[in-house]
Amino acid sequence: MLTRSFRRADGQIVDALSAVSFDVLKGQFVCLIGPSGCGKTTLLQIIAGLLLPSSGTLMVGNEVVAGPSPERGMVFQKDSVFPWMRVIDNVQYGLVCRGMATGERRAIAEHYLERVGLAHVAQAWPRELSGGMLKRVAVATVFANGASVLLLDEPFGALDYVTKRHLHDVLLTLWAETVGDKPRTIVFVTHDVDEALILADRIMVFHTGRLIDDILVDAPRPRTTDALLTPQMVEDKHLLLAHLGLEAKRVGAASLAR
Amino acid sequence: MRDIKAVPIAAEATVADRKTRQGRTSRIDPFGVFGVLLLVIVWQLLTAVLAPSSLPTPWSALLRIKQDFFRAEQLSFYGLPDTGLFNSMIYTATNVLVAVALGSLVGVLAGLVTARFQTIRAILDPIMMTLGTIPILVLAPFFLIWFGVQRMTAVLLVMIYVAVILYIFAQRAADNLDPIYEESALTLGASPHRIVWDVLIPGTVPQILGGIRIALAGAWGLEAIAELLGAQYGIGKIVQVLAGATDVQGIFSALIVLGLVAVVSDALAAFAISRLAGWSVAARAGGA
Repeated sequence: MLTRSFRRADGQIVDALSAVSFDVLKGQFVCLIGPSGCGKTTLLQIIAGLLLPSSGTLMVGNEVVAGPSPERGMVFQKDSVFPWMRVIDNVQYGLVCRGMATGERRAIAEHYLERVGLAHVAQAWPRELSGGMLKRVAVATVFANGASVLLLDEPFGALDYVTKRHLHDVLLTLWAETVGDKPRTIVFVTHDVDEALILADRIMVFHTGRLIDDILVDAPRPRTTDALLTPQMVEDKHLLLAHLGLEAKRVGAASLAR
Repeated sequence: MRDIKAVPIAAEATVADRKTRQGRTSRIDPFGVFGVLLLVIVWQLLTAVLAPSSLPTPWSALLRIKQDFFRAEQLSFYGLPDTGLFNSMIYTATNVLVAVALGSLVGVLAGLVTARFQTIRAILDPIMMTLGTIPILVLAPFFLIWFGVQRMTAVLLVMIYVAVILYIFAQRAADNLDPIYEESALTLGASPHRIVWDVLIPGTVPQILGGIRIALAGAWGLEAIAELLGAQYGIGKIVQVLAGATDVQGIFSALIVLGLVAVVSDALAAFAISRLAGWSVAARAGGA
């Protein structure tokens, strides 16, 4: 049971998360969805170890999270690529911190840059890249660092539709590849219902700091445009939209949609 | 699938764009040349109205620089034997560079530390701000009493001024550095030591270098003033001596040499900034 309170500037105590409790399976792709201010980002920062819960504990594997760790990589909502390092140096930064040999870490960084389609700008400065390219650098960086838990905080929220769809493909391909026998768990914060349905195995819905619904999405992958139109998917979409306050809650939504 | 045709900006184009822009900064700006010419023309016109004893012509000032460059005879009458503009300039420039180097080091370290440790900041802020507001004319007599008429006095005076400026610049730069970079480094596994070297310092370097450039520009004038108030050598000392003899032509020649060295040092600083912080848009704009 996690609770995280903040003291606001006016002195009031605000619970960004109250009594949240959940388990995530290893290798699962989880989307956290909810209106802004519902506690999604706070939860993600607690998992990352950048914030500590006011009460309760968060365990990853068998360890209590007490601070940031390279085992839990994070792609931030804002651009976090270091503008003072070339693209390739950004991607291999985590490996430099681990003291990996130059040749080895370079090879890994180049591999992941290639995978996100940015091999040609390895030597460029971040300011020479577009917003979508910077997000790819951030994605390549966390994958190159070999984290087993990846936390993505509305990473593609500010991107145009086409770039966003490309990055979904890139992300899903990288996630599906298991390195060794180490499946990667992804926790992906979004406010976009379609994005959640395309990406997730499981969608956790938050509202005012509480976990209000937990939906399993077992549609087969890759999820094409048609896959999103199956009765189950349409029903899930109605449910999510209702949770976000965009539709009235109704029974038998799927049959109506048909 | 991993084609990048949806990306709105082609990287190659921006790289090329940047190269041409950088190329432009290294060339001499025609407007700058025009500005200098304008100054010389106005000066020449003024000499037609004013007496040579109050304003020498540009040409006579140049001739005086040539004559006094290595050895100035007049100065030996005032107890400054065997010196010329060149030697004095070297003395002044050494003091300025030493003061800027040491002052920057102290100011940057203090500024970065106080930006991350609130207690130290609470202690240091009032001290630095007080030092920064004391005019050099007030400070100089104390330093002259404590350290005498020697190099150290002038260097310390300039150093204090440089340290206060860099303290403010470094502190502001660290305050303004988006915490996301430090958080990102933490989640990638960076140690606190690495965060200082890989994030805090490179992230603040453009603004710090800009501060050093500003401090350097001011340091020339302060060093000259410090020498005027009490020194045995230096361009400022020459100006003080010649002012006593109302040798306007000599003062002008000394000031022109000081001004030229200051302009050249500023250009070198701008060049160094554009090389050291090429990644930063702000640094490039400052270096242009």
